[in-house]
Amino acid sequence: MSLPPQLRPSLTPQELEFIACNQETIEIIPLFGMDRIRLISGIYGPFVPPAKTRVPLWLATNLKLKMKCRIIPPEWLSVDYLNAKVEEEIAAEEFSELPFRYAEIAKVLLDTASDNIQQADKVRFLLKELREARQAKARKGLSRIDFSLVDLPNLCAMEINEIRPYFVKAMGVMGQLTAGMHPPGGGGGEGMEIDN
Amino acid sequence: MENDYWSIDAIFAENQKLDCTFLLEVPNLGYIDGGDMPNIPAQTKMRLPYWLAAPLLVHDYLEFRIPPAVGYSVLKALSAEPRSVKLSSLVGGGGSWYKFGKEISELLEEATSKDLTEALPKTFRARLVDLIDQAQHFDGTAGSTSASGTGNEFREGLESTEREIFALAQNSAHLMKTWHESSDKR
Repeated sequence: MSLPPQLRPSLTPQELEFIACNQETIEIIPLFGMDRIRLISGIYGPFVPPAKTRVPLWLATNLKLKMKCRIIPPEWLSVDYLNAKVEEEIAAEEFSELPFRYAEIAKVLLDTASDNIQQADKVRFLLKELREARQAKARKGLSRIDFSLVDLPNLCAMEINEIRPYFVKAMGVMGQLTAGMHPPGGGGGEGMEIDN
Repeated sequence: MENDYWSIDAIFAENQKLDCTFLLEVPNLGYIDGGDMPNIPAQTKMRLPYWLAAPLLVHDYLEFRIPPAVGYSVLKALSAEPRSVKLSSLVGGGGSWYKFGKEISELLEEATSKDLTEALPKTFRARLVDLIDQAQHFDGTAGSTSASGTGNEFREGLESTEREIFALAQNSAHLMKTWHESSDKR
C-alpha cells in the first residue's frame, strides 16, 4: 500500500473533522445580504440579515472567520445540556446518546465561534469531562472483548475512530487464539467432547 | 500474529526451538548436529526449530517435550496474575508468545493442550486493558516513562503481538491529542 503506515489503520481526526464540516449543517444569522446560492450539496440561503438560515458547517465557519455571520450553536452545545449529559454519563452503565459527530462539531465551533457560545470555557470543560467518562467506559468494553463483536452502542464517530485500530487488532488476535476451540455453551457438541 | 506466508513476524515465530527426541535413525544427516557420525541414531536428543519439528512430529519421527515457555509453571503463574508474567523473556526478543503457544497447542493431543488453549485468550484479555492504559499514557519520549516501576516492568514484559497493539493505541492517542490541541482559527 502506498499510504504511510500511521495512516493505514484508521482515519485521522482531521479527516473526520473534514467529513463533519461537509455533512453537518448549522444555523447562522448572516450579516450580509445575498440571494440563494447553489452548492454541490444543495441550495442555501437566501441570506437576509436578521433571518436565520441553515448552511453547511464549513461555510458557517468560513463566513464566521470573515465576520460575515453569527453562528447559532446547536442546543446540545450548552452548559445546561452538557451538565445533564455528564451526570447521565457517570450514572449510567451505557453510553449516553449524543449527536454522532458531536466531538468534531464542538471542536470546530469552539475554535472558530467561541464568542457565539455562552460560557464557552465551561462548555469546553464539560466536553472534556464527558470525553473522559466515555473513555473510561470504552476501556471497560475492552475487558469484555471477543473475536466476533464489540457491543458499544451510542459510541460517536471520533471515539470509534480512536479505538478502531487496536480493537480490530485485538479482536483479530482473539479470533486466532480461540479458533478451533469449543464455543462456550451450545454448539460445541460435534463429536469433539473430551473425556477427562 | 497472523499466519501470512509473507509475514516476517510469522517466520520469526516459527524459529522457536523445541526439545525433540528422534524416534528412528536418520541416515546421512549426522552432520546437522555437528557430530561426526554419518547417521542420527534413534533416541538422539536435539533442539529443532518449530518449522522443522512440526512436520516431523506429524509423521511420528520425533517426540517433543512441552517447552518451558508454555509449561505448567508458566501457566500456573499466568492463572494467578497474568499481568506480572514477562512474556517477552519467555520467547526471547521479538518472539510472539501467543503464536508460539498456539502452535504448541496444535501439536499436542487435545486433552493435554486444553489448559494451554484456554490460557491463551484468557491471558490476552486480562493483559489487554492494562496494555491500552499504558499505551495511552505513554507519549513515547524518553524520560516520560514516569517513575512508576510496575508500569515500566509490564511494558518490558510485552511480547511482539502485544507490542504491535501498544504501538497502535499509542499512535491513536497521539493523533487525538494533536487534534485536540490544534486550532481551526486561522
